[in-house]
Amino acid sequence: MTVFDRRKFIGSGLAGSALAALGTPLRAYAQSGEIVIGAAPPITGVFAFAGAALHSGLGDWVEWKNGKGGIAGRRLRYAAEDSGYKVDQAVAIFKKFVAQYKPPVFYGDSTGWAKAIAPELSQLGSMLATGPSFSSDLADPAKAPYYFMPGPTYSGMIDILLDYIVKNARGAEKPSVAFVYSDTEFGRDPIAAGKAKAAKLGIPVALEIITKPGAVDVSAEMIKLRRAKPDYVIFHGYVLAPIPEFIRQMRETGLASRGMGTIYSMDKTTLDQMGATGAGFLGVMPYRYSFDSEKTPTMELIREFGSRKPNNPWQTIFYTQGWLVGMIFEQVIGRTLAAKKELTGPNMKASLESIAKWDTGGIFGVPVSLKTHAIPVGRTYLVTGKSIEPVSDWITIG
Amino acid sequence: MRIGDFKATYRHDEALFDTPVQRAWLAALALALVAFPFVAGSYYVYLACLLGIHLVSATGLNIVTGYTGLISLGQAAFMGVGCYTVAVAAKAGVPFWLALPLAGAVSAAVGLVVGIPSLRIKGLYFAVATLAAQFVLGFVFREWESVTGGVRGANVPAAALGGFELSGEQRLYFVIVPIAAVGLLAARNLFRTRVGRAFIAIRDRDISAEVLGISLFRYKLAAFAIGSFYAGVAGGLWGYFLRVATPEVFGFGQSIFYLAAIIVGGLGSILGTILGATFMTLVPEVLRAAVGWIEAAGVADAGVYLAAVREVVFGLLILGFLVFEPHGLAEVWRRTRRFFHLWPFRT
Repeated sequence: MTVFDRRKFIGSGLAGSALAALGTPLRAYAQSGEIVIGAAPPITGVFAFAGAALHSGLGDWVEWKNGKGGIAGRRLRYAAEDSGYKVDQAVAIFKKFVAQYKPPVFYGDSTGWAKAIAPELSQLGSMLATGPSFSSDLADPAKAPYYFMPGPTYSGMIDILLDYIVKNARGAEKPSVAFVYSDTEFGRDPIAAGKAKAAKLGIPVALEIITKPGAVDVSAEMIKLRRAKPDYVIFHGYVLAPIPEFIRQMRETGLASRGMGTIYSMDKTTLDQMGATGAGFLGVMPYRYSFDSEKTPTMELIREFGSRKPNNPWQTIFYTQGWLVGMIFEQVIGRTLAAKKELTGPNMKASLESIAKWDTGGIFGVPVSLKTHAIPVGRTYLVTGKSIEPVSDWITIG
Repeated sequence: MRIGDFKATYRHDEALFDTPVQRAWLAALALALVAFPFVAGSYYVYLACLLGIHLVSATGLNIVTGYTGLISLGQAAFMGVGCYTVAVAAKAGVPFWLALPLAGAVSAAVGLVVGIPSLRIKGLYFAVATLAAQFVLGFVFREWESVTGGVRGANVPAAALGGFELSGEQRLYFVIVPIAAVGLLAARNLFRTRVGRAFIAIRDRDISAEVLGISLFRYKLAAFAIGSFYAGVAGGLWGYFLRVATPEVFGFGQSIFYLAAIIVGGLGSILGTILGATFMTLVPEVLRAAVGWIEAAGVADAGVYLAAVREVVFGLLILGFLVFEPHGLAEVWRRTRRFFHLWPFRT
């Protein structure tokens, strides 16, 4: 009988690790002519709620595109590893893939990652990158010339909400707003610009509340809200908690303020978790929901292709974002190759900046153009008891 | 089979590496380290740099926790102090060779400020005090916008030496690895001095140490300052390496990372620091690569499903080492060495 003693356990553990390490040579898998799309999506970690679907969306787009013959006749390879939403790990994956495949395009994970690789992207001058962060800092071609974002900045999203408030104001007096945001880079990003925009539109900012992301007890903050009595409460920098708790207490205390959210608190899976308290919640979403009543070619394609696989999160907006990123990569690479230019950073940047009045087949409801390497388009939605309905036209931020 | 090591002179007795075999291995290692960036790909060099930074910080923590017995839960915050110091200094035009020791000094000074009131307590109380320091410093990183850039963070200009830019892993390797080596050697030597032995005496029995004439307060404070200095230098290296200083990087989770590294490697052991930091840095990479092979072998969506499993496996590996080898990887290494020393006989 084999006795599993301490030494054998440690020995086998070390031997296994050594074997695994020895068997990890970096091989250039990419075949000639193949275009590699590198990615470090956050499949685990605090951003995992979106990361797995982002990964599936981009991966499925590559699979679909290869079924259609690739880009300009060149097959695509999707190389992705989980970043865990850690900057050092995401940078490690980036370095690994750059050495291994030299991908012309890369999908990363966070604002920190984007800032960390920005100098290297400029130095390399051979690729473009994007990621799920909509931080205003990144929409600056002077600082990050080879980075773009697949939607509006968080500031742009707040602008859309404030525009909605102004357009729906009744009477001479403008409704007031409160900003409730998390004490994170994500949470604080659009607040200064949001307050400036509110001042410009004549919207009084009644209150500002900063909480921990995922905070549970909001009683003290609710007292402040009840005193300030804002007409709208804009939540930003959260996925779910503490929004449901705020909304529940607002209902219970008879506060008539309406809650509003931005992209990452507006996915249906998130809103479903809010249950009945979510009814009446407003929010901005740059993309069309998969269950939108208006049938559009790209959303139909996503539905048809995504639903082939069991447990595929194709209904989420994160999957749609992954798919959209693939489409932008296609535009950039396709336009560069069509101009008979090499896939270098400057050439692809020129292609990216040439995207104007682009029809995404329905992901955005209007043709879109890139502005400061972002897509400044979105729409306001209302959460009803059963669904999420658009309550505004598609707005292009000026 | 090696049967003994006869020391005939005081010099031989005092030598850090006392056998020709040790010195030969060390020379081979030094050669390999010099050659490494020329033969390895940028990804491996990046990992080596990351490991070097983790080594410096973990060494500092091992001095405080492993050798002096003061459990610190704030090592990452002190790294943050170093990183922001470098960001500010580099923007002010301070050269990197001055900015790095400055980062260590500022971090050590902050360590002293935190340490003076905290060192009157010990054990779990001290751990909680360092935890408080972790959160207070995190708050400062986020709120002192004019200096730290707040939650958006601060960019760190590239290190340069006489107009030669030291950016990218290939060049920074020759900064990080020598600093890590010097840091390890200095720590190794520290515990052959009166000060280092005082640290160990405090860890083993503080009352006895005090009876022997060791000023607990002074030496505990010294240990804490030295540990913070190491953290500051590591933070400075991190800044130059990733070129960005953000508060999220220097959070509580990162402090736990270093604590786990020295526990897995072996508390109170420089070799343990090396092995623990290596384990904590490289095993997640190996596990990620393993998930990649499974996916490459045609298992659909393995990346999504196995990503979470990978975290569990990493946790179980740490747990396994703690349960089956509480003295850490350093003890495994010693046993392995003993086996080969006595081979073909068994211990």
